[in-house]
Amino acid sequence: MKCWNCEKDTQGRPFCPDCGKIAARPPGASHFDVFGLPRTYDVDVAALERQYRELSLKLHPDRFAQADARERRLSLEQTTALNEASKTLKDPTKRAFYLLKLHGVDLEREDAGAQKDMPLEFLEEVMELREALDEAMEAKDVERARKMATDVETRRKAALQEAVDTLRTLEKGPPVESSVKKASHALGRVRYFTRFLEQVETFEEEMLS
Amino acid sequence: MSKNGYLQIHDPLKPKGYAVGIDLGTTNSLVASVIQGKPRCLAADEGESNLLPSVVHYGKDGGVVVGARAKTLAAEHPTDTIVSVKRFMGRSPEDAETRKLGAYKFASGGKVVRFEVSGGQPVTPIEVSGEILRALKRRAESHFSGRVEQAVITVPAYFDDAQRQATKDAGRLAGLEVLRLLNEPTAAALAYGLDKGSQGTYAVYDLGGGTFDVSILKLVDGIFEVKSTGGDSALGGDDFDRAIAQRVLEAMGQSSPTPSLVAEVLAASRKAKEALTDAPEVELTVGSHRQALKRSDFEEWIRPFVQKTGVVCRRALKDAGVTASELDGVILVGGATRVPAVRRFVAEQFGREPLSDIDPDQVVALGAAVQADLLTNVDRQDEVLLLDVIPLSLGLETMGGLVEKLIQRNSTIPTAAAQIFTTFKDGQTGLDVHVLQGERELVEDCRSLARFTLSGIPPMPAGMARVEVRFQVDADGILAVTAKEQSTGTTQSITVKPSHGLTDEEIETMLLDSIDHAEDDVQVRQLREQRVEAERVLTEASRQLGEHGELLAEGERAPIEAAMAKVREVAQGNDHHALKEAIHALDEQCKPFVERVMNQALTKVVAGHSVEEF
Repeated sequence: MKCWNCEKDTQGRPFCPDCGKIAARPPGASHFDVFGLPRTYDVDVAALERQYRELSLKLHPDRFAQADARERRLSLEQTTALNEASKTLKDPTKRAFYLLKLHGVDLEREDAGAQKDMPLEFLEEVMELREALDEAMEAKDVERARKMATDVETRRKAALQEAVDTLRTLEKGPPVESSVKKASHALGRVRYFTRFLEQVETFEEEMLS
Repeated sequence: MSKNGYLQIHDPLKPKGYAVGIDLGTTNSLVASVIQGKPRCLAADEGESNLLPSVVHYGKDGGVVVGARAKTLAAEHPTDTIVSVKRFMGRSPEDAETRKLGAYKFASGGKVVRFEVSGGQPVTPIEVSGEILRALKRRAESHFSGRVEQAVITVPAYFDDAQRQATKDAGRLAGLEVLRLLNEPTAAALAYGLDKGSQGTYAVYDLGGGTFDVSILKLVDGIFEVKSTGGDSALGGDDFDRAIAQRVLEAMGQSSPTPSLVAEVLAASRKAKEALTDAPEVELTVGSHRQALKRSDFEEWIRPFVQKTGVVCRRALKDAGVTASELDGVILVGGATRVPAVRRFVAEQFGREPLSDIDPDQVVALGAAVQADLLTNVDRQDEVLLLDVIPLSLGLETMGGLVEKLIQRNSTIPTAAAQIFTTFKDGQTGLDVHVLQGERELVEDCRSLARFTLSGIPPMPAGMARVEVRFQVDADGILAVTAKEQSTGTTQSITVKPSHGLTDEEIETMLLDSIDHAEDDVQVRQLREQRVEAERVLTEASRQLGEHGELLAEGERAPIEAAMAKVREVAQGNDHHALKEAIHALDEQCKPFVERVMNQALTKVVAGHSVEEF
């Protein structure tokens, strides 16, 4: 990337190494790139938070309140990206989804083919859970819903662990299609279980208020 | 329409004068500044109170009075004296908050609340707040004997986009460059943090006159990171006053009191509430009516409001992922936290005695002054940074009247999110985009921020067109929505401002309207301003007619030209009211046409690309 100010190479850094001006975000930079980290699941969250604070101190729009319009815009763009990267990488679940996305499967998208491609057993499991929760909600039985949530939370954790293990094997070698598929099925389950837990939570809140 | 000089305040070559922090409160407002390294609230005169009552009186002669003197006029002129205007910021006339017990006359129609006042045209809450801000600006200018052009203005953390936008507009109206909208609890934490160099996790419980906020913050290495925030922007000490007032009116046998009586009873109730902080029992007097009030009764009446804050606190703790026992301290902010029942409740909720070493009335303004100093003083830039969050989720309407959230509440700002829209019918050329804010699932339960149609998509099979709608929330917590043609990577884009607030043009008009009515030559001045405005509007209308004449429907041109002729004619005379009306009439006449021009601008984003490009 060429620096807008001195035209030297910014080397993908937040500030031009030559003239020190705030740089434009390199197109296609990943969340890992924002922190100069390798694309691996294992992230030192405490170190990441420290680095986040250091970068925020330098990049935040408050630091550019008196700067010109271009620098203010670049600060906004970089800080927005920094916040998004930090939020994603700090959270073990979001981080797993993001790594899968870097492997080409974006489960966040509503029309994602991978979602429609879940194994039959899982769909049956979903149906059963769905019916059981509907019954509990109809009966206004918070206790029963809560018990289901505890059980689903265990399943969610197991599915996340399976996804993480698979993502780690993918880090070691060249991409294997069957592994990507395995990780995406596991995270597909995580996604469903998370939604289920959110529903229980909403139900609990409604019952309490 | 035009973007002319009235809004263009930022000029890097021009010295900016002093920067101040302003707490624009429901009951009282304050201005503060960092003087010799310490934040200080500024008083009108030596030895006087630095609280400016947030009361604006509109006189029959068109004059405006702000502050303590306006407050004394409230009982006699209840409809011409606006108190607690903050409650109405960014709200529509139908809002539940707008319809609470009060003495105002509202102008009918429109998306924005307007107060009928006897001195002239109805005024909006933005204009009323602008008067308060202008009074504070004058106070600071006389203190410094110099210009004040930049300010940090505080807002309740729980203010939504409309309320924030309205506050920013009021700042601009007062001739201030708003450096930052700062959340009140965050400002309070800043005032405390700098005094004590604290580290750790704190809760700020802020119960003001009309709003309630709670924020959970983590302080590490000079960074104030807001972990979560919650609140109710229609809950505060005013509700306590109304709780008393309702009982008093009942006791007086008044089922349909006059505005004057309502204002008087509310004022007496407020006094009683304040007195009950120190005395277990007080006597309230309204005319010949006398009534004894017990603190225990008062506490019973306000219990539902206080309980409501507890629910919000628990949710904020949960969102922040901390328990009450993990907190290092609880800070009290806002005049209503003087009520002993509130203090007890906070202590119970958080399991510790709250801190209130800094005057809860001043702490927010002091924090705002610190932030203004940090933003303008290059030497201080490495010391402290605030990382705030957006209080309410942002989303888009999807099929079946449901809201899909794009940005979750408590996301650190600035933040952004995008959604790809595809067409669902063959040959579809338009897409409706409806932007909402709130936590509920149904569209009707959320706040509608903006609604627009992307039209002019080239006809193609369903699902082929791809338009990216992007949300960007800036460091003030204000949203901009951008629509972008996706497949070709064309950078062309448009920004849609939320529809509830005021347009830049309306602000300009108000600026012209309101430039210091306090001056003696107000008539001459207004006429001059209206003539400038007339000139601007006429130029603009001619330009639009010339450039976009093809967008006029049949029979539309003649009435617009007639309205233009009328403006020219009235501008020759000396009646600024008549001129203003003529300008308004022209504006109204142009409205459908100008909307079409705007729509076309929107359309251009997606139009002009061939099918192959999509």
